[in-house]
Amino acid sequence: MKILDVKELHASYSASGPEILKGISFSIEDDDFFAIIGPSGAGKSTLIRCINRLVEPTSGVIVFDNRSVTTLSRKGLKLLRRDIGMIFQEFNLINRMSVMDNVLSGRLGYTGNLRTLFRSFRRDDIDHALQLLERVGLIDHVDKRADELSGGQRQRVGIARALMQNPKLLLVDEPTSALDPKISREVMGLIKQMATELKVPCLCNIHDVDLAKEFCNKIIGLQDGIKMFDGLTEDMDQGKLDEIYAMEVL
Amino acid sequence: MNNKATNTSPPRITSQVILDRRRTARMIMAVVYLVLLALVVWSVQVTVIEDTDWNRLGGFGKVWEAANRFIGLDMALFPNLIEPAIETLMIACLGTLLGVFLCIPAAWFGALNITPFKPVTYPLARMMMTLSRSIHEIVWALFFVSAVGLGALAGIFAIAVRSVGFIAKMSAEAIEDIDPGPVEAIRAVGGNDFQVVIYAILPQVLPQVLGVIIFEWEINIRRSAILGLVGAGGLGLVFFRQMNTFNFHGVMSVIVAILGLILIGEALSHWVRRALI
Repeated sequence: MKILDVKELHASYSASGPEILKGISFSIEDDDFFAIIGPSGAGKSTLIRCINRLVEPTSGVIVFDNRSVTTLSRKGLKLLRRDIGMIFQEFNLINRMSVMDNVLSGRLGYTGNLRTLFRSFRRDDIDHALQLLERVGLIDHVDKRADELSGGQRQRVGIARALMQNPKLLLVDEPTSALDPKISREVMGLIKQMATELKVPCLCNIHDVDLAKEFCNKIIGLQDGIKMFDGLTEDMDQGKLDEIYAMEVL
Repeated sequence: MNNKATNTSPPRITSQVILDRRRTARMIMAVVYLVLLALVVWSVQVTVIEDTDWNRLGGFGKVWEAANRFIGLDMALFPNLIEPAIETLMIACLGTLLGVFLCIPAAWFGALNITPFKPVTYPLARMMMTLSRSIHEIVWALFFVSAVGLGALAGIFAIAVRSVGFIAKMSAEAIEDIDPGPVEAIRAVGGNDFQVVIYAILPQVLPQVLGVIIFEWEINIRRSAILGLVGAGGLGLVFFRQMNTFNFHGVMSVIVAILGLILIGEALSHWVRRALI
């Protein structure tokens, strides 16, 4: 079943500025682990941010879970974002808060302002957070401040926060570029494992082609805002890769 | 209660523990707020309720009448305000400038990461900053009036000395917060301490320091406008004379002039900030 369908997506950061995405179309099935690859500046992050409208697309259609994303009201957008988890390149944790509070912040879409003010989360949420922290291997770091952790550990907190939402889709933006190669592979493995276990489809930006090939079943290749490749990982060969990354050589 | 997560290694933290802890934290906060509230009530009781001469105040009508005397302007006074206003502005500018120069050693000595001889220079700088800030500008002005006599010079010194504390403290903190990477890079190419400051530190702190200086200059316009009260020149002196002769409309005129000056200062500072930073 299709969870996400994108048609003719265009985006630019200002009316007069250059177009970052030039008519991208693709769709994601509910068991896909989808990679977006391409050189820096190809529009990978912009594409991912259009899906939950952190960046407003200029035109095009995005349908997620039978909802038309581009026409949602403010309220509708909040409900949409609740269903989409996001994992960031620089982790984007609240550094001064504890690991527990960071993970619980994944539930803010379901939590009222008064409860937020007093950080009074429901028992279910705390149970869930502990389970996830156990799964990502941070159960002994619950009370630590986020900035006391190493890079790999912080990204694990980021993963737990995203999964707290019980998302129907995970947007993953360069999860490993701030990490060393060994930790990168572990983190990708963890995301893959959790996504498979919880049956959450993923859309993952990744500039490391080897990691993309290892973990993802489908790949989109972007170059300068244009889709150069869209297909199964096994159909991606060196010739196609060279074409996608051709601009970088220049 | 205990679910599957508990079959390995030492006792795990449980949801109950976290919930209890959060409840305790909320309780402590509630107590803190209650104590704060009690302090406020007590302060109001002592300083306002007991310390006010309620009989002299009379009714609301009398208060209104007394305040009313100030409403209205003495137009004839305005031409005589131009010169003191310019003097006030000059006191602020020169005072800030002199203050900035005094700040250079203070910020240099007062930043932990570059202070030349920590056990001596650091406490010295911090003491200078605290001294500068803990004494009111009027008191500084009184001090300098008795040292150099009546007039604008005393005002300039007072403003300069009073400015050091804030500008130097903020600059020193900006220096302490710099990214050490560029410092490392300049050291690595064989640069000396001076070159490190010019190449690696100044460019990083300049926007912040300029912002602080402009902000302090704006405040100094306000400060210099009242320094005349103790004989240190500017609009304050006129204010003082009008008050002494019970010309309340004249007092109002001076206040309007000060307000105008401050608005000009704010506009200028906004514009300079935009242009520089």
